[in-house]
Amino acid sequence: MASGKETYRAELRAAARQLGERCLYSAAKWAAELLVGVEPDAAPALSCAMDPPSSSSATPAGRLLHMHRSGGSSFRPRPRPGGGGGSEAGTPLGGVSYVSTPIPDDDAFDSGGDKYLLAKTYFDCREYRRAAHVLQNQVGRKAVFLRCYALYMAGEKRKEAEMIELEGSLGKSNAVNEELVALERELSTHRRTGSIDSFGLYLYGIVLRDKGCEGLARTILVESVNSYPWNWSAWSELQSLCTSSDILNSLNLKNHWMKDFFLASAYLELKMHEEALKRYERLVGVFRCSGYIQAQIATVQYSMRDLDEAEMIFEELLRTDPFRVDSMDVYSNLLYAKESLTALSFLAHRVFLTDKYRPESCCIIANYYSLKGLHEKSVLYFQRALKLNRKYLSAWTLMGHEYVELKNTPAAIDAYRRAVDINPRDFRAWYGLGQIYEMMGMPFYALYYFRKSSHLQPDDARLWIAMAQCYESDQLQMIEEAIKCYERAEKSNDTEGIALHQLAKLHSMLGQSEKAAFYYKKDLERMEIEERQGQNFVEALLFLAKHYRSIGRFEEAEHYCTRLLDYTGPEKETAKNMLQSIKRLQSGFPSMDIDNFSL
Amino acid sequence: MNVFAGVGGGSAATDAAPAVGTGKALLELTPHKIAVCHLVQVFAPPAQAGGDVVPPFPFESLAHHNRLGLFLFTLTRSCEDFLEPPLEEFLRQLKAVDDLTNGWFCEQLTSTLSALNSPDDLFNFFDKLRGVLTAPEGASAEDIFLDPNSQLGVFLRCCILAFNSMTFEGVCHLLADIVMYCNSTDASYDMAEDENFNNEVGSMMDADIGSQADMFDKYHRGFSSGSHMGESSSALTRAPMLPYDSDDANTSKADDNPTCLRSRWQLEAYLNQQADILEKDPSSVPLNSFNATMTKLRTLAPELHRVQFLQYLNALCHDDYVTSVDNLHRYFDYSAGMQGLFGRSVSPVQDIVVGKYESALLCLGNLHCYFGHPKKALEAFAEAVRVSQMNNDDSCLAYVLGAISNLLSKIGMSNTVGIISSPYSIGTNIGLGTPLSIQQQLLVLLKRSLKRADMLKLPSLLSFDHLSLAKFDLKHVQRPLVSFGPNASTKLRTCPVDVCKNLRLSSRVLTDFGTDVLSTSNDNGSFSTSWLRNLSAATGSWRSSSVKSTKLHNNDFDNFHYHAQPCPVPAPVLQLAGSACLLRATAWEHYGSAPMVRMNALVYATCFADASSSSEMSLAYVKLIQQLAVFKGYSAAFCALKLAEKKFPSSTSSHIQLLRMQILHERALHRGHLKIAQQICDEFGVLSSSVCGVDIELKTEASVRRARTLLAAKQFSQAAAVANSLFSTCYKYNLQVENASVLLLLAEIYKKSDNAVLGLPYALASQSFCKSFNLDLLEASATLTLAELWLALGSSHAKRALSLVYQCLPMILGHGGLELRARAHITLAKCHLSDPKFSVPEDPEAVLDPLNQATEDLQVLEYHDMAAEAYYLKAMAYNHLGKLDEREEAAACFKEHITALEKPHNEEDSLVY
Repeated sequence: MASGKETYRAELRAAARQLGERCLYSAAKWAAELLVGVEPDAAPALSCAMDPPSSSSATPAGRLLHMHRSGGSSFRPRPRPGGGGGSEAGTPLGGVSYVSTPIPDDDAFDSGGDKYLLAKTYFDCREYRRAAHVLQNQVGRKAVFLRCYALYMAGEKRKEAEMIELEGSLGKSNAVNEELVALERELSTHRRTGSIDSFGLYLYGIVLRDKGCEGLARTILVESVNSYPWNWSAWSELQSLCTSSDILNSLNLKNHWMKDFFLASAYLELKMHEEALKRYERLVGVFRCSGYIQAQIATVQYSMRDLDEAEMIFEELLRTDPFRVDSMDVYSNLLYAKESLTALSFLAHRVFLTDKYRPESCCIIANYYSLKGLHEKSVLYFQRALKLNRKYLSAWTLMGHEYVELKNTPAAIDAYRRAVDINPRDFRAWYGLGQIYEMMGMPFYALYYFRKSSHLQPDDARLWIAMAQCYESDQLQMIEEAIKCYERAEKSNDTEGIALHQLAKLHSMLGQSEKAAFYYKKDLERMEIEERQGQNFVEALLFLAKHYRSIGRFEEAEHYCTRLLDYTGPEKETAKNMLQSIKRLQSGFPSMDIDNFSL
Repeated sequence: MNVFAGVGGGSAATDAAPAVGTGKALLELTPHKIAVCHLVQVFAPPAQAGGDVVPPFPFESLAHHNRLGLFLFTLTRSCEDFLEPPLEEFLRQLKAVDDLTNGWFCEQLTSTLSALNSPDDLFNFFDKLRGVLTAPEGASAEDIFLDPNSQLGVFLRCCILAFNSMTFEGVCHLLADIVMYCNSTDASYDMAEDENFNNEVGSMMDADIGSQADMFDKYHRGFSSGSHMGESSSALTRAPMLPYDSDDANTSKADDNPTCLRSRWQLEAYLNQQADILEKDPSSVPLNSFNATMTKLRTLAPELHRVQFLQYLNALCHDDYVTSVDNLHRYFDYSAGMQGLFGRSVSPVQDIVVGKYESALLCLGNLHCYFGHPKKALEAFAEAVRVSQMNNDDSCLAYVLGAISNLLSKIGMSNTVGIISSPYSIGTNIGLGTPLSIQQQLLVLLKRSLKRADMLKLPSLLSFDHLSLAKFDLKHVQRPLVSFGPNASTKLRTCPVDVCKNLRLSSRVLTDFGTDVLSTSNDNGSFSTSWLRNLSAATGSWRSSSVKSTKLHNNDFDNFHYHAQPCPVPAPVLQLAGSACLLRATAWEHYGSAPMVRMNALVYATCFADASSSSEMSLAYVKLIQQLAVFKGYSAAFCALKLAEKKFPSSTSSHIQLLRMQILHERALHRGHLKIAQQICDEFGVLSSSVCGVDIELKTEASVRRARTLLAAKQFSQAAAVANSLFSTCYKYNLQVENASVLLLLAEIYKKSDNAVLGLPYALASQSFCKSFNLDLLEASATLTLAELWLALGSSHAKRALSLVYQCLPMILGHGGLELRARAHITLAKCHLSDPKFSVPEDPEAVLDPLNQATEDLQVLEYHDMAAEAYYLKAMAYNHLGKLDEREEAAACFKEHITALEKPHNEEDSLVY
């Protein structure tokens, strides 16, 4: 295993260096972080890398751009000496054999080496056009890539500026990256002539994606990751283009260990939580210290509503990596769900000191204010987060929640809708839309949204219950439909037990006492297991007692009546009366039962 | 009320909102607008001291001057596209307007635009513009200067305001756009690029970088070098724009043009126009390309949510349920129903911008209604009623009530229990505890809606409600909802007077309000659009034929009069008035006056064709063709049908499709092609599936046709069974008018099956039904059947039968169709013949005349069965007279028809026409 680990290390070491040299900072950061995350053999790695990227629920595309922008100053990879060795064998991980991919040799520092150096320094200082200009007549692959990449970045920078400049009364005009066409032309020529490396392919892929040719972009990115699998940015771009599991399965990927990272992350995004968790748990065997994997596992567990487990991981993560901001928004969501105010305030304070102009930081602070009940302030911070990253999905949704609290329904609907338009698979936002319309007294209209959300998350009992409540509402009163929904909710592990109780009630309302009794009994069992008692418990007992008496199964009826005697209130008296009448009936009195009417 | 009720723009509301909301200028400056500004300046130059030349310098005559003015006016109002035209197109139009100064305007315009090189030039340009608006000191009334409140004056002021509030970055962008705009027509542009391309194949990228740097230098920093413009590749990034109607190919060469949106007003007018096209002729709008156009517009103007509504309409028109539901929800989520929905001509007085989400429910209901989900539609409407009551949205409530009544009148429901499940919904809203029949509910709803519309001064809704009431009165007996005491008279008749009153009121309302409410902002840009389009058409032909002198005046005012006159009546009003006319035709159809039906349908087809929707238009055609079939025979009808099918492809118009089947069925029955008749019957059966959403009238018609086919096949008991079940259906759904005809059908069945005694009560019942419903023609037909039945009972009743025939003859001869007339004639002859006191030789004309008439008519109809009967009678008459030759001739004809009936050859012919 040790030699295997050494191979990983060698590969990652070379990758971090190569990626850094090409100014692909976030990919280099990811590789370096993973490098120190490999389980130490003898001497543990003392310093972990600062903040590995992750893909939480925010779309990776937007985040990546952001990283491109801030990449220059925040992190600079240390160039390491040594060529690309150690490309021999991919080590089997968890019994899967991998295809080994040779680490490509870097271009030697040829005649243009000095110019490349200059261009790179320009790039590091974010003077992209200068960088491109310096490399104008260089023909080496590395130089060509950096020139194109610099042009792309220059275009992106200009686009961002233009987007604000061109904002008109009808919304933003269509600012585009002006370099895309020229870049596409050049890169496609290079690809045809075969003079393109995997980095160039990666750039070509994102250019194509920006131009809207998603199919081709996917093909190109697959080519790129197949020839150079260590570029995490390429993987995550590819993942953002895989919007359904069908697309994911149709990709023709080489079996490299990096593919596991990709698949796991893609599964998480596609809400295939079990599969994601399985893969991550296998990977963590090798990369024991990787913060990235830990954060992802925690995210999966949070998504599977395993809050305690996730919290433990996050706490540990924050202890080893105190200046981490990535994935911390998920942690804050978790703390919000657990309503631990102090921990949340602590976290907010910490990220605020680390870097307050990160969308995640704003989101965490907003979460804190929301938990405090200061919804206006919360909205303010969500808005700030969205200014920093317009495609920050969860911020839109959460801001929608805040607006709901503020009773500003049009704003809330708008926020949710934007979330849905960014990612139509976001069931929370659909659910939010449904809730708002239901609150506005439009249950029929709300049903459309609930249907959408339960279509995306068919195993979530909450969604089915919401839908059932719509059907059951005074306005609609479509009881049969409500029953169907509750049945679905009951099947998909309804922890709060609303479904069972409602099912029993609705059935008894419809006069189907057999079914009602069945559900009351089930509900009773559930409450006994959870040791909960209350009005529902009494109601169930009362119904069952009456039901069994009416069908003549007196023993059961007696049993429930006796249990009712433990409770105070009018039910106790009823139970006493009932017991007496049962006694009478059992002793062979004529079955004419007056008590039936009095009850 | 149809699905298009929600289209259109509260222009008053939408114009104000963005200006207030974002604090941005009303207008965004574009190169095109700068060019227009420049021309305005030429049109109305800043007053010079002393020199008051009329007209000012370059113009040769006042007409010339005015034409430019009109051109500029139309430029600010036209809405044929959402993008502004490229310079090339603009210059072409300008050349067409300015035929006298030999292109002086164009040269001047291009030179001015290309002289704008630095931000400072722009500042100076706008400084000069300001001079146009300020009246010179000591100006007299005759002086020409621009009224700041005129259309052009407002435009100019908006432009100046927009420039003043522009940031420096904005100015830079504008400059870059202007250069791009000018480049698009630069003749040397293509050549320059070719050269460069050839020279620099090897190092193409470097050249690009160089040119990019140049671009950057020139437009963003304001250097004025201007040598390498041709190399700019950035212009290529704009995707070419492809308008879906390919007839104006001029705009498709917009590659090099900066994509500049028109003003908001123009965009909205454009969207309204598209909605109109969708309503009028959905088949002309291809689903995907229209969607692509709309998506493009949406990327350019993401906050213009109306686009989503158009996408919803488009999907709706193309029967794409999922997309239309998606777009509907998206539109209302974003706009919160605040972007104005009802009536395109919203005046501030008539504040009917429906706020909030109840209008979403209204649209959702209409959508479900359209797709045939009446249950869901009712749920949506019920919720809309609730929410609009909650939000005190009276106008929306009125519209919802109108929509519900429309729905209820369309679908057949015996009662609302089970359909409107909740006790809180419509039933109790009416305020009456007892459950009402659906008709009663409908009536109450209509009256309530009418009252509300009147109170809220919603003329179009008021008119619509009157129409619906007329429709209701036409078919239903109004019973008092609550009657007290023995004196409460219950007069169980329909009231044609009421129908007439409502029809008149419906049109009256429109004219009453017309002056102040409906015609306030009538200009929807269509005049300007067609003026411009005409202009380009004229120049196009001028270019191709290159006969300059003859075509020169093609673009003068006179030529636009017929195409582009702004209609004094707004389209929605016209549409409602048209519906009234069409309904009048239907009413006469019921009351039995053929000439009035023809007249009204013709009036509709000629006068309201412009504003009508395709479905109503096809309905008018259907009525005309039905009349043709009844009065002129099938060949004439099929000729007309062919024309109609060309106009309305049968895939889109269900009316025409039904009509085709109806006529084919009739002809097959008459010809005796029973297999074909059965086949068409089956098709009817498919169309009228028993699902709740299907039109109840279609269902009844299918059953009627089935019974008639069975009758023709002499399967009397089955026919009677079908008719009986149909009768009970009609009774259940309160379709009293249909009941009358079903009863008549039953009488007919018993008559044919020689059970005259059984038939009599049915005929009598039908007759009395007809009387109480004022169905005069049907009554005459029932009377005729009655006469036939009496006659069938034996010759002793011939007298009575004869008097009955005489009784109905005036009506039948005046308004009846060929078949009915022939039947009357034959019965008349039969009465005479079977009367023992009547002798043929004494009065041969009394028998022969009607028979000749009958055979003539039946020949046209190809009605073999009856024709045979007529010839038989004729032969008998001639036999009595002793005219043997004529007898043999009639007998031969009789045989011919009998063989045609019994051995129908080439049955397949019955399906072609």
